[in-house]
Amino acid sequence: MTPYAPILTSHVGEPNSYSLDFYVTHQQGYEGLRKALTQEPGDIIDQVKTSGLRGRGGAGFPTGLKWQFVLKDTPNPKYICCNADESEPGTFKDHVLMERNPHLLIEGCAIAAFAIGARVAYIYIRGEFYHVQQILEAEIEKAYAAGFLGKNILGSGFDCDVYVHRGAGAYEAGEETALIESLEGKRAQPRIKPPFPAVAGLYQCPTAVNNVETLCNVPLIVLNGPEWFSGMGPEKNGGPKLYCVSGHVKKPGVYEASMHTTLRELIYDHAGGMLDDRPFKAIIPGGSSVPLLLPEHLDTPASFDDIQKAGSMLGSAGLIVLNDSVCMVWLAMNLLHFYRHESCGKCTPCREGCDWLYKLLARIEGGEGQPKDLDLLFGVSSNIVGKTLCAFGDAAATPVLSTMTLFRAEYEAHVREGRCTLTADWRAAHPVMAAH
Amino acid sequence: MDYAPAKFHKSARELAEPGGAFAYTPEHQAKFDANVKCYPPDQRRSAILFALYLAQRQQGYVTAAAMRHVAEQIGCTPAEVEDVVSYYTMFFTKPVGTYVLNVCRTLSCALRGAERVTAALSAELGITPGETDPTGTFTLIEVECLGACDRAPVVMVNDDWHECLAPEDVRRLVEDLRTRGPAALTGCHLHKEKAAEATS
Amino acid sequence: METVTLTIDGQPITVAKGRTVLQAAIEAGVSVPYYCYHPGISIDGSCRVCVVKIEKMPKLQTSCSTLCADGMVVSTREPDVVDARAGVFEFLLANHPLDCPVCDKGGECPLQDFSYTFGPADSRMDFPRRVFDGEGVKADVDFGPTLMLNRNRCILCTRCVRFMKEIDDDAQIGIVDRGAGSEIATFQEQGVHSLLSGNLMDVCPVGAILTRDYRFKSRPWDNPTVVDTTCTLCSKGCNTSAWLKAKPEWAKGSRLIRMTPRYNPDVNGYWMCDIGRFNYHWVEGESRLRRPMTRNGDVLEPTAWHDLQPRLRDRLRQARGSSESAASSVQAPPVRFLVSAHASTEELFVLKQLVEGLMGSEGLNAVTLAWTTSDKAQPAGTKFKVSRTNAPNVNGARDLGYQVGAGNEGTPDLSALRSAIESGQTAAVYVLDPGPDGSLGDTSWLIAARQNGTLPLLIVQGAVMTDLASAADFVLAGSAFVEKDALYTNDQGRVQAASRAIAPPGEARDDWSILVALGQSLGLALAYESAIDVRRALAATMPDTPYASADLLVVTRPVAARNWLQASNPSERWKWDFLYQDLPPVKGHSVQMEGISPRAAYIPLKLTE
Repeated sequence: MTPYAPILTSHVGEPNSYSLDFYVTHQQGYEGLRKALTQEPGDIIDQVKTSGLRGRGGAGFPTGLKWQFVLKDTPNPKYICCNADESEPGTFKDHVLMERNPHLLIEGCAIAAFAIGARVAYIYIRGEFYHVQQILEAEIEKAYAAGFLGKNILGSGFDCDVYVHRGAGAYEAGEETALIESLEGKRAQPRIKPPFPAVAGLYQCPTAVNNVETLCNVPLIVLNGPEWFSGMGPEKNGGPKLYCVSGHVKKPGVYEASMHTTLRELIYDHAGGMLDDRPFKAIIPGGSSVPLLLPEHLDTPASFDDIQKAGSMLGSAGLIVLNDSVCMVWLAMNLLHFYRHESCGKCTPCREGCDWLYKLLARIEGGEGQPKDLDLLFGVSSNIVGKTLCAFGDAAATPVLSTMTLFRAEYEAHVREGRCTLTADWRAAHPVMAAH
Repeated sequence: MDYAPAKFHKSARELAEPGGAFAYTPEHQAKFDANVKCYPPDQRRSAILFALYLAQRQQGYVTAAAMRHVAEQIGCTPAEVEDVVSYYTMFFTKPVGTYVLNVCRTLSCALRGAERVTAALSAELGITPGETDPTGTFTLIEVECLGACDRAPVVMVNDDWHECLAPEDVRRLVEDLRTRGPAALTGCHLHKEKAAEATS
Repeated sequence: METVTLTIDGQPITVAKGRTVLQAAIEAGVSVPYYCYHPGISIDGSCRVCVVKIEKMPKLQTSCSTLCADGMVVSTREPDVVDARAGVFEFLLANHPLDCPVCDKGGECPLQDFSYTFGPADSRMDFPRRVFDGEGVKADVDFGPTLMLNRNRCILCTRCVRFMKEIDDDAQIGIVDRGAGSEIATFQEQGVHSLLSGNLMDVCPVGAILTRDYRFKSRPWDNPTVVDTTCTLCSKGCNTSAWLKAKPEWAKGSRLIRMTPRYNPDVNGYWMCDIGRFNYHWVEGESRLRRPMTRNGDVLEPTAWHDLQPRLRDRLRQARGSSESAASSVQAPPVRFLVSAHASTEELFVLKQLVEGLMGSEGLNAVTLAWTTSDKAQPAGTKFKVSRTNAPNVNGARDLGYQVGAGNEGTPDLSALRSAIESGQTAAVYVLDPGPDGSLGDTSWLIAARQNGTLPLLIVQGAVMTDLASAADFVLAGSAFVEKDALYTNDQGRVQAASRAIAPPGEARDDWSILVALGQSLGLALAYESAIDVRRALAATMPDTPYASADLLVVTRPVAARNWLQASNPSERWKWDFLYQDLPPVKGHSVQMEGISPRAAYIPLKLTE
């Protein structure tokens, strides 16, 4: 295992790590903000750009660039929206940060707001994270009381308010324009782009939407310098990274590492190896929306660029590990059940396509599939990809296209035999309680 | 023009319970008024989800009358409120049990036996997902990824979590819930201080 | 005007800056399908059928949401565009019930038209279709007083949602649920209650929202003629199209089958209100006057014009003579005229000459204009405000010199007329009212005056048998607004023409000609042979006013659409009328798609790549 000392999650296991006192005492709390407020907002953006920080939400877009695009000459207010709608299946990293290290996020929000010229930051948290929201709100209040938020922060003349906005159960709210729509009190459906949020986002004002983990890195960059950040990890993939490992591993959980770390290290070193020591079959490396990788990719470093080179995406770094008992037709069906349920229904290909794909997969999985259904699955998925308003359509088609490409034999066997031919009945397996 | 709706087919759409006259309690009204201040004065609509949560907390579910009340508070039409209510999965428009058991069914939990948890809960409570038991204590729902894939299978009970629920532990959990209420839940493993309080 | 030049399918196109690629394509006659786009409401980008390929852009783009830029190179015909578009059509049709034979939109349905041209040859969908409220006729559910909704047909373009929010300013329609279960709905199924509800059928690109009025009444190919006209039911003067049925026997004898709005950016945009849309049945209704009538004791008897005219002349002469001794006939004219502001400018012009011929320059004092006003319940922020004044021509009357008081802003003042009649100073009242029943307001006092003998003579010229007409001594069958070419001046002061769509029934006549005949019989030299004669005279009399070119205003005849599609499909009419698109889509064939092979039903498997 590459030696690595956690930074974002260094103290999350300790009691009261979420508290303001703990943060100030042990993590140089709010020193980043103090330092930032002595600089020009443009300098902060430059530092974030130099650091090479890439969005941790899924797309991996350079954060500094995103901030730079935020319209400057406007009479309208500007906004920071923190995307805490962590809903990608297999992803649970922001949860840890908000629950155990909330002040890092609050500080990140304040610095981000200062950098783009915003006075308000909204943290859009998914409705299911109510317990997290309560902590976050309590800690925000303490930050106000300590003068890290509110009017004239640390005597700098900079005002910043941070509010938590609770979602109510919609995966699509994690898409940045849908998040904005939801914040505006509408159904979480994406908007057409352009205009991008940087020009016309929340309330049609310039807005930067950033993931929790992204914002949590900002105080560190300001405090330790961009070179410190970019020096950690491969080129253009710098900084600490949180990996969420779940599925068939012994110790599922959130692991912090540099992006030098390979998939194999994450599974076998961090997460304790395969559950019941069964053989590894495949891994979804970036949340359910990305293509699967096979055993031959296990030595790929889990960085944005390397995973892309291997034919998938790092996405939200939600690693779902699959052992040999997993039927790929079932897997695709399970995920399409998710996508069908979460499709917002705004644009035609996604609304109709996800439903159709799920019905086809259920038919094949149920043993009623016909040979033509395989072509049809492929055809329908291809008709969705690239035709939809947001990336959801591509994400929904990916599990089908990926499993069909890599495991076509399993599909054919399903159609031929009218049942699953995998002998291991994973549904009978006892879920193993991971020791935390 | 004469309007005699009875002459025509009515929609088969399942409607929210009409509900009796609804208004926030003073306490909820104060909470709403405070929340609205988080948003620019001309953007009251942003508080709609908060307003609906309040209504749901007050009644257990969101009635048509509550939607009308929320529309008035927000300054939008009831149709826009119904639109939002129906989009988000965490609002109920029919009465639900005291404990709403939301079993995650998405991949990571499913790999760890979520389907069997649902089956066990179904058998234990004698209801299928989507139903409420006759005593009105439990409602069973299958939901998509709750974001706790490392503690699979995970069940959200109202606003609280219960992690790593093995199918064979389902009966005990149900009984515990009946007797001890929310204290029976593991809660979120990350919230160590809360767990410590509970045991001390 | 700033312009940009782009290339679409190799054709250089110059359009105003700010136009989208789809708008440019439509203007240039390049057929690109679309559903969520409507020129009158905001852009949504959700239906995805308008995808085009734009050079230097990595993915296909929706043309409705892409602004034209100089040098942009757009293709609508490349194989990947053709495939992508057909793929979206397959999705749109996957759950659409193909009940076109019983759907009111069938034949003028953009989904039909475009999918014939751009859709795949057949569908691969073999699951049962999604059903919302039931199969067949059960799917048509109550959607408010004027509308029906069929959710099975809905393709969720959300034009209706956006129309209600943006134009009506009362978002009564929302979407409920999400994903494949999404459906449009009103709060708790209350239905749409709006004065603009009829527009929802026009904006709906499928047969999901239907008006009760038109439901099951006709098919587009049975309405082969359309007349562009102007609505006269309020002072707004919406430009409209009157649709005529080829076989009136199929619609209980009426020819007028529906009214739809006609695009006029300065007056009504793409819209009209429900009053104008649905309140046309009186024109061909039971109480329509078809013949002139005279009173014989208690009953009104049909008569012939040539019998009626001498008797009417004699009675009027007698009425005038009876009070010729009176000191000042100008202050208390023996014959008074009560005229509805539904009277056209031609009629008012002839009437003016008539009264001035009979009573000299003060003759107009004998004329009282009447109309009604009502507050229309509309949301405060509506983009389409229906006028308060329920008559089309108060401003026309004012322009001709009639006393109308505050006109469009106020209510008419009938008190002088009433006291003159009730005091017994008036020998005869001549009523001219080509409008629907009630357009004069309360007339019970006038009926009472005639019945108790205070008023010796009552003549009613109009279109319908009102209570007032039943009390009259002479009833002259005139014409309703769709039965004559006529000018009306709307509340903006805009002089607009309404056109004759159907002939007046039976022996009913053009109102101006009844007045001319009356004048001639009373010895006046009114030499008008046709309505255009009247307009020429009007134009000559009023130089340097909008009326100076009254004779040049276009009135249209029923247009027999060469290709019925061209005249059908109200929601798309604006395109044909105003953007000069001369390439009508033809079933199963499109000029744009010539030489492009139809998409294969099955996408070839590309797994080996």
